[in-house]
Amino acid sequence: MIQLSDVNKAFRVKDRKTRAWKRIEAVKSLSFQVRAGEIYGLLGPNGAGKSTTLRMIVGLMKPDSGSIRICDLDTQEKPEPCRSLVGYLSTDISVYTRFTPRELLRIFGEFQGLDPRVAERRGMGLLEKLQLKDFADIRMEGFSSGQKQKVSIARALLHDPVAVIFDEPTTGLDVFTAKTVLDLLRILKSEGRAVIVSTHLMPMVEEICDRVGIIFGGELHGDAPPAEMLERWKVHSLEEVFFKLAVP
Amino acid sequence: MKGTLLICKKEFLELSKDRRTLFFSFVLPILLYPVVFFIMASLGRNDQTQREGQPSRVQIVDPSQIVEPWLKSDPKLFECSDGRPANLQQAFKDHTLDLAIEVEASAGARVKRQEPYRIRVWLDESEPASELALQRMRDAVKELDKRQVSERLGALGASLQIIEPSRILTENVADPGLALGKLLGSFLPYILMLMMFQGAMQHGIYVTAGEKERGTLQSLLATSLPRSQIIWGKLIYIFCMGLIAAVLNLLSMGISLGLVLGRVAEHPAGSAGLASAHLAAMTSPVNLLICFLLFVPLGLLFTSFILFMGIRAKTTAEAGTSLMPGLFLIITLGAFSMAPGIERMPLLPYVPVLNVSLAIRKLFGQQSSFFEILIAFFMTAGLAILMTWIATRLLDRESAIFKQG
Repeated sequence: MIQLSDVNKAFRVKDRKTRAWKRIEAVKSLSFQVRAGEIYGLLGPNGAGKSTTLRMIVGLMKPDSGSIRICDLDTQEKPEPCRSLVGYLSTDISVYTRFTPRELLRIFGEFQGLDPRVAERRGMGLLEKLQLKDFADIRMEGFSSGQKQKVSIARALLHDPVAVIFDEPTTGLDVFTAKTVLDLLRILKSEGRAVIVSTHLMPMVEEICDRVGIIFGGELHGDAPPAEMLERWKVHSLEEVFFKLAVP
Repeated sequence: MKGTLLICKKEFLELSKDRRTLFFSFVLPILLYPVVFFIMASLGRNDQTQREGQPSRVQIVDPSQIVEPWLKSDPKLFECSDGRPANLQQAFKDHTLDLAIEVEASAGARVKRQEPYRIRVWLDESEPASELALQRMRDAVKELDKRQVSERLGALGASLQIIEPSRILTENVADPGLALGKLLGSFLPYILMLMMFQGAMQHGIYVTAGEKERGTLQSLLATSLPRSQIIWGKLIYIFCMGLIAAVLNLLSMGISLGLVLGRVAEHPAGSAGLASAHLAAMTSPVNLLICFLLFVPLGLLFTSFILFMGIRAKTTAEAGTSLMPGLFLIITLGAFSMAPGIERMPLLPYVPVLNVSLAIRKLFGQQSSFFEILIAFFMTAGLAILMTWIATRLLDRESAIFKQG
């Protein structure tokens, strides 16, 4: 479903003190694949390259080399068809606050090529699943982070994507909202979608992910089910893997 | 194309949710100009009426008593008192005095000898009341002089006509509509350009750098809409807002100014009617269409520039700052386009932006050249297309979407 082969990505940043440009390797020779009906956990500390990887899959960033394919379509060659296959939730919990959730979902449905009425119907169904239907016609200006995140999730799933990419979906959410999100991820898996979740919260990964890839310094260290990963590194939790990677 | 219209729809829909912005964008310009012009005209008229209805306060020193009795003979115009205040400037500041006059001591003897005598006058030119007092005094002294000359000529057995051997009769044959058209043509492009840019700027920043700052741009770019359609949708929205702002401001300003001038000015009905008839001919549908066609690519050029700067900027503050030079450039070019005689500069039709204002100026001045209109149109349209292409390419660059470096 989603296949990354030898993907590399670097950024040029300016050192404000020395005025020199530096090259930062954000992602190095990254290869992994996610199958339909699978939740893949992309783990790593802040700045490890998780968001960059996910942004490349969605087409918000372009890899310097390597290829990314979604349902056998190359994201570089066919960016728009690829984006129509993916539902993306970014780390920023931000929505168009002047709109109500119903209006937002309707217009985003149209962006994804849906009939406005179909978009609205699907959107309302998603809001119901996310326990936000009562707020469908209230402007999002006063919404909490959790409510905004739920609307963003509905927006990402509106066009019935075959691949779902959630970048740190539970960060900043209370336990109830986080549980709603995790339950939804399980439903998405059961519906046969390929799901990639990036996070640095290990309990969540151990609970829902079928396989995990630990990314550290832009490189992938291991790509296996959580239990196998623990066994391979001879540790009791995935957090210990992090520490082992940080202090080799 | 559908995506372009959808993005445009989304922007207008978002705008429609913000009542304050709607009020400031569409309602305020309609209300503002009539109110401001009416208040200004009323204040000006009241002040003028008040000043003209009151006598000017004059302090006079006239030992020969030649001018003073003459001024005192008209108490409706002059309120005279003898002597001079110790501090003239302070008296003007305190509004206790409008004019101070000193007639030379030997004026009486000079009049007898038929020699000119000197009158010294002190006034405060910054005060309209002082200016009015001077004008009244000049008129009064002129009348006094005329009387004295008449008496002297009478004594010699001659009439006043002896000092006026010829009379010049002037008649203005200028087309009043053309004069008005030239005036209109010189400032109309400037006003339109400024309002179009100013009106589009804030909305442009909101939908570009604002989206980036609010974090909503990523969700938009993650949809299956092509980047070019997203850009064009935003471009159409910003362009429409600029156009609406320019048209609303101009209409409101024009109507208000027309009403106020109509009330204030007391032109002979015939000449005003003739001017309006000529102006109506000048603002024919064809001329207005040419004017509109020239402003469409210019508006698109401004819009694509705003779009480019907005996408390039990381924050709304940065976008606002980086667009200010553009605004200053338009003000400068607009002010330059109002300068007299620039229509005779040979290279001006090839200078972007300026050639549009020049073409419109010539159009209203009935000196338009079809070639210059074509150059202005195609040059501006070409630049607008180029700038839009650059903005579309920029939205494809990661550095424009994500804050880096």
